[in-house]
Amino acid sequence: MIAYTLQRLCYVVLVIWVMSVLIFGITQLLPGNVAYSILGQFATDRQIAEVEQLLGLHDPWYQQYGRWLMHLLEGDFGRSIVMQRAAGPLILEAFSRSALLAGIAITLVALIGIWLGTHSATHRGKLSDRLLTLLQYFFIAVPEFFWAILAIILFSAWLGWLPATGYAPIAESGLWRWAAHLLLPVMTLVLGLIAHVSRLTRSSMLEALRSTYVLTARAKGLPERLVLRRHALPNALMPAITVLAVDVGILIGGVVVVETVFAYPGLGRLLIYAIEHRDLPLLQAGMMVVTAVYALANLVADLLYAWVNPRIRYRASVA
Amino acid sequence: MSIAVASPGRRLPANLTIGATLVALFIVLALLGPLIAPYPFDQFNVRERLSAPNLAHWLGTDEFGRDVLSRILAGAPYSLLMGFGASAISLALGVPLGLVAAYYRGIGGELIMRGVDVMISVPPILLGLLILAITEPSLWKTIVAVGLVYVPIMTRVTRSVALGLLGEEFVEAGRARGESAFYILFGEILPNAWPPIIVETSLRVTFAILLGSALSFLGLGAQPPMSEWGLMIAESRPFIEQAPWIGLAPGVVLCILLISVNLLGEGLREALDPTFSARYGK
Amino acid sequence: MNVLEVDGLSLRYATSRGPLLALDDVSFAVPAGGALGLVGESGSGKSSVILALLGLLGAGADISARALVFQGQSLIGAPIPRGDRIGVVFQDAGAALNPALRVGLQIAEPLMTHRRLPREAAIERAIALLGEVGVRRPREIAAAYPHQLSGGMKQRALIAMALSCEPELLLLDEPTTALDVTIEAQILDLVEDLRVRRGLSLLLVSHNLGVVERVCDDLAVLYAGRIVERGSSERVFRTPSHPYTKGLLGAIPRIEHGLRRLVPIPGGLPDLTQPIHGCNFASRCPFMVSACATPQMLFDLGERHAVRCHRAQALSDAAWPSEEAAHEPRLRAGPPVLEADEVSKTFLLGGLLSRLSLARGWPRLEPPREIRAVDRVSIVAARGEVVGIVGESGSGKSTLARLLLRLIRADRGHLRYVGREVPDLPGPEFRRRAQIVFQNPDSSLNPRKRVREIIARPLSLFGGLRGPALDQRIDALLDLVRLSPAYRDRYPHQLSGGEKQRVSIARAMASEPDLLVCDEAVSALDVSVQAAILNLFADLRDRVGVTYLFISHDLSVIAHLADRVVVMYGGAVMESGGIEEVLKPPYHPYTEALLSAVPVVGARERAQHRIRLPMEAPEPGQGCRFAPRCPRRVGTICDDVEPPVHEPAAGHRIACHIPLDQLERMEPALLRPGPGSEPRSRPTG
Repeated sequence: MIAYTLQRLCYVVLVIWVMSVLIFGITQLLPGNVAYSILGQFATDRQIAEVEQLLGLHDPWYQQYGRWLMHLLEGDFGRSIVMQRAAGPLILEAFSRSALLAGIAITLVALIGIWLGTHSATHRGKLSDRLLTLLQYFFIAVPEFFWAILAIILFSAWLGWLPATGYAPIAESGLWRWAAHLLLPVMTLVLGLIAHVSRLTRSSMLEALRSTYVLTARAKGLPERLVLRRHALPNALMPAITVLAVDVGILIGGVVVVETVFAYPGLGRLLIYAIEHRDLPLLQAGMMVVTAVYALANLVADLLYAWVNPRIRYRASVA
Repeated sequence: MSIAVASPGRRLPANLTIGATLVALFIVLALLGPLIAPYPFDQFNVRERLSAPNLAHWLGTDEFGRDVLSRILAGAPYSLLMGFGASAISLALGVPLGLVAAYYRGIGGELIMRGVDVMISVPPILLGLLILAITEPSLWKTIVAVGLVYVPIMTRVTRSVALGLLGEEFVEAGRARGESAFYILFGEILPNAWPPIIVETSLRVTFAILLGSALSFLGLGAQPPMSEWGLMIAESRPFIEQAPWIGLAPGVVLCILLISVNLLGEGLREALDPTFSARYGK
Repeated sequence: MNVLEVDGLSLRYATSRGPLLALDDVSFAVPAGGALGLVGESGSGKSSVILALLGLLGAGADISARALVFQGQSLIGAPIPRGDRIGVVFQDAGAALNPALRVGLQIAEPLMTHRRLPREAAIERAIALLGEVGVRRPREIAAAYPHQLSGGMKQRALIAMALSCEPELLLLDEPTTALDVTIEAQILDLVEDLRVRRGLSLLLVSHNLGVVERVCDDLAVLYAGRIVERGSSERVFRTPSHPYTKGLLGAIPRIEHGLRRLVPIPGGLPDLTQPIHGCNFASRCPFMVSACATPQMLFDLGERHAVRCHRAQALSDAAWPSEEAAHEPRLRAGPPVLEADEVSKTFLLGGLLSRLSLARGWPRLEPPREIRAVDRVSIVAARGEVVGIVGESGSGKSTLARLLLRLIRADRGHLRYVGREVPDLPGPEFRRRAQIVFQNPDSSLNPRKRVREIIARPLSLFGGLRGPALDQRIDALLDLVRLSPAYRDRYPHQLSGGEKQRVSIARAMASEPDLLVCDEAVSALDVSVQAAILNLFADLRDRVGVTYLFISHDLSVIAHLADRVVVMYGGAVMESGGIEEVLKPPYHPYTEALLSAVPVVGARERAQHRIRLPMEAPEPGQGCRFAPRCPRRVGTICDDVEPPVHEPAAGHRIACHIPLDQLERMEPALLRPGPGSEPRSRPTG
């Protein structure tokens, strides 16, 4: 197990490093002049040359890359060109808000999705199963941004129950308003993913129920609920962990869209903003943070899976 | 691993026929769009702006008085192109890469797979954003970007299918005859590999449409005045309360398209891999 | 008093083609303390019997019976004491054990459920049970997960699980089919021992007649869902009365029967969705008459022997008509077709990342694990000869087959074909001349090609044939393997297992090879189909003069076909020589163990000399590969020093540290056959 953790850590470091090269490399291809963007369109050639010199923009690319990487590792995330502030605190604050959203979302997806999936599998063919399957089918086909629009139309425009945009820090506005601002974004994020996870849990649960070891458990005369809980469920959950890891990636995409629609001040919105304004340092640092977070989330999922799956956790043969 | 074959004369699954019919319908509408649309998609008619669905405008008009129905029809080709075009790109690049990685297990294959593993570790939207951030956005670039984003997963799927097939005894029998790599890959493996690859590609179509319209929604894809559905939904946001139909109509149509493609994909999977329904149940 | 009485059990499934009658009026009884074997091939319905008895068939199954009585109480409409008074051992221990739970817990579960024991007490009991089934370190095994155990160990755990609540009846479904023959012997020993010690009654379902004969007092033969013969094992084996039973017994290759032709049963199973009015075996029976079309009842032949055939008494002395006697195999002159010299292959396991470990305090890169799959093996095959290579799983025989055909690159050693050295990448000449037939009929044919295309490929590749000449050759090849030209346009999924193997053979023969390597080519087939394919191989050998390298784990099959045998263990050759010589002392200790483990039909009356190998053993060292498990191990010399090669007769080699005279004084593991079987004929020249 320890060896496995070591291997996965190496791998995570590799991924983050390659992405850093990629992010740096691609953003270097941005057309337009960085100095120009900073100084504005009325800058003189001499001013531009000065800023370029200052930022080391004429150095060979690997030097620039090295410098950027060193700064990152030291915690210096550069300066946002547009907002004229240190990018670091900006990103971290936005990240904390996105993390809140994503954290609540993934927890709900895991709990509700798995529960629905197992319920569907154990009540296979009955009305609840058929209904759920039908709903799942539709939910998977609805894009997040459309969920968002529908949610806004329903809950904000017509019913007026919930605010359509923004974020209310708990410290300032109290629990209810804070929750109210979170409700629609979270709901939008989870609906499609719950359908995905429940579908997969259902099929892996059905496969477990069809297996020889479940047959053996029944042949031992064990009560059916014990067969489900102790024999079928652990085996059905293992693929669910894998799928949740993939869903975190989809969730990140969803977060970007949802933050844009609901004007939620998170990291996704910040990234879009950085792209629109060609704010290079902000973009680079923001993407690195997202990549690192996703890589770490995958690592956690891998380790969780390895811990739960005896075939990986206990590799050696005993006899 | 046993490869299943749809035996001739078997009934096609309902999924497949319904899905295929609906998708075909969309394609027909996309092709005929300009001919059957009641108004040109970019025709301003400021007097009738923001009007609710009525006889003259079956789906109402938007903030510029443009007919929503016509815009939707005009936008159909974009979503279809997004889905099938991007998938075609990932198929064209991913399958050969996957075959090569499976057959040449040495350094070349390993490098390809490490690259793929790294790419897969990045959330798709991020890759898409990254690629699109560096150029002026347009629909075509979005299609290419989405296609590239899904190359790693096509490579991985092709490789695992090919690896499974390479272990089959009829492939060994081929090697025992001294067959060339070309014959083994194209004469023995590919005919058996394409069913799972087709199924995976149909999944990609769904994701490509989703990703592509999301990128357009974010302003990084199709640009105004194109009536791409994601973009239409984005543009409808300021008027959501007054004129929800501007956003609802393209959204609903997009969902129907996605459901149709899903049905088609599921149907293909049932038809091409009979063991699937035995394993995963209804 | 009968522990179990089954009367009139019928089972129907709903299928897309209509209701399928899987079991038809099956009746049998298991006496208290007795053991009943249910024998049948695939499609006989034998596995459904156990599931039907336990009520474990799904909702789509329609079961009906006149009576199902367990210990005097009816099971119909009443809860079945599963796991409690009736225990079950399923076939595939790897699939039957839950991979996510520790073994000890799985054994303890019935105790917790039926006897209300608390968890700790139940697990202690489970550990004791593991000890009882012969596990040496039961506490460790109980704490382990199934994937950490070997096949034999898993099967023992399954047996312990079935015995946990002290059942009165044990149901076993093919308990040893997936195991190596030496492990199988140990498990059968265990089952017999438990039966005596605990007074268990057994119902054993198997296709392996040798296993059934060994363990069971009584047996019932099942064909296409109906019992066709029933009686004590002894009587049924001595005087089989139903034609199917005669056919089955004639189809089994037996070590002591030498080269006698096997009996294949032509035709296939009837379509069970159509009601069969008369005898369901009639279409395949050589003794069929018109009266066979009337419904057949089981009737008594006396001494509890019953048979479902109205001609049974008339046919009591008739044997299944066998084809013409075996040809004299001819060895042809000329240089040996194949000579392998010290061929070796070592596999290295572990990619870069998986070799990272923390074993010695800080991260290091461990060296990759080595697996010596084939260790300096030398083989010579003369023209027209059949060389059998026998070994259990892990012996390296499949790797060897591929090395000999240059499908895998050897690390060391030479390969000569008709005197000429074969390079690592051989040219088309060698490829033409040396072909292979594989084990698994389902994966040896490209499912997307018709039979015609499959056979045409080597013909056009090597012979450049086209058009009518090509078609003629295809038909000739189909004829060679006894398939009609109608098979040309079929796809593999439309063929049966035996037919697929025939097409594989036709494909291999298309290039007119001198050498045919058969890698477990009959292992996946039913006994009656296997007999037909073995006869085919014998024909090809005699008519066409092909040289064979026949690989199998089944010593009986090898003994039937081979002139010379090579016995492999752990990648090395333990013994090699003419078949006659290898089958009697002097033996290598491993050969001795193999021979004494084979469940031989008709062996009941002789005491089979029982040599058993220990279950677990450490990795072999630099010396003899068999040393860690060898019951005759001399001392550390066996582990450290390579054994010398004795040559008691020309061409007979034994690699062992035990001196030759001691080996010659060993007891034969297989006693000489009784009167009534033909002596083996040996090739001349």
